[in-house]
Amino acid sequence: MNPFISIMLLSTLVLSTMIVTISSHWLFAWIGLEMNMMAIIPIMMKKPTPRATEASTKYFLTQATASALLMLAIIINLMYSSQWTIMKLFNPTASILMTMALAIKLGLAPFHFWVPEVTQGIPLTTGLILLTWQKLAPISILYQISPSINLHLMITMSFLSILIGGWGGLNQTQLRKIMAYSSIAHMGWMTTILLYNPSLTMLNLLIYIIMTFTMFTLLAQNSTTTTLLLSQTWNTMPIMTTFTMLTLLSMGGLPPLTGFMPKWMIIQELTKNESLLLPTLMAITALLNLYFYMRLAYSTALTLFPSTNNMKMKWQFYPTKQMTLLPTAIVLSTMLLPLTPMFFILL
Amino acid sequence: VSLIHINILIAFTISLTGLLIYRSHLISALLCLEGITLSLFILAALTILNSHFTLASMIPIILLVFAAREAAIGLALLVIISNTYGTDYVQNFNLLQC
Repeated sequence: MNPFISIMLLSTLVLSTMIVTISSHWLFAWIGLEMNMMAIIPIMMKKPTPRATEASTKYFLTQATASALLMLAIIINLMYSSQWTIMKLFNPTASILMTMALAIKLGLAPFHFWVPEVTQGIPLTTGLILLTWQKLAPISILYQISPSINLHLMITMSFLSILIGGWGGLNQTQLRKIMAYSSIAHMGWMTTILLYNPSLTMLNLLIYIIMTFTMFTLLAQNSTTTTLLLSQTWNTMPIMTTFTMLTLLSMGGLPPLTGFMPKWMIIQELTKNESLLLPTLMAITALLNLYFYMRLAYSTALTLFPSTNNMKMKWQFYPTKQMTLLPTAIVLSTMLLPLTPMFFILL
Repeated sequence: VSLIHINILIAFTISLTGLLIYRSHLISALLCLEGITLSLFILAALTILNSHFTLASMIPIILLVFAAREAAIGLALLVIISNTYGTDYVQNFNLLQC
């Protein structure tokens, strides 16, 4: 793509999320979300293949519906409170509509159907932007309206997300779809704690962004998009197998790695608020997630998959792709657990 | 709250249903999206004029600007789709299934 257009689109993307997060007027938040959608659709169509077109259309339709529902919630809020400040909502209908609109934008169940298909149709780095940066704007709005969200709706949607994110990823071999289902499950974890302690939502979002960024950058090194291709990395870049395995286990939430931190904090907050069945079920269904991460780690790092060449390893060239921030991201996504008390600055 | 508001909300709901349940053409979904933004415009203008909230009178017009943006990008995607498939039937969107 023409570098001027690329710079303009990326800067619009960054600017739109900043507009959503720092605005105090509902119209500006809505405008920021619209700009977000507008900016990412040309980025998704970098190579206008039919798959990318279909992904962009599905993304556009779902996000446009969500924007329209959000505007309706804003206007109903205006009808009942006659002010445009972003604070808690003043009408239960507006609150339910806005929660559902933001759930469509995030990809929470039962509105999750677009996430795997859209993530599958776009290039890997664009998928990274879709799954990490695009989550910031809706979660910032959810954070600001969190006192007035209906508890039952939120808990239902988030638990359903964790279930569907776990079960949906089991039958996949395409890595982008696996990452999409992992995103759905992590969003479920994030929105569970939103009504009890919103700063843990922010913590989970931060750790999730770091882990997903690490995972996508590792995948983009070899341009691997299927499990088969991923299992060939021992042949070309053996060190990536270790990193892939560590990052996958961290995403599954295993204890000495960073991914355990948000799950631990969330379960602790939920038990402080005397709900015991929900964190138990959440922790058990997180095992489904762990299963398909383990399957990827097994075929990548723990076995030497049969490859097409006769030698044990291919000739090691200098890597041509830029590994932007990869060592930093790997360290952050695996070794951050002892620094848990540091994250009280998020409060 | 009043009957007119309920009328516009019913218009919104009917357009939303049309957006969610479209049978064969993608363009009918885009049309229902336009219907939704139109009903939102009228609802916003009605509420703002009813409460004499003069400072916010600009807001329905800004809403209309962004509705036009969405329509434009929807139509651009529709054109690309009909370049590859020839029609805009939604049964053709099956490239990305499992």
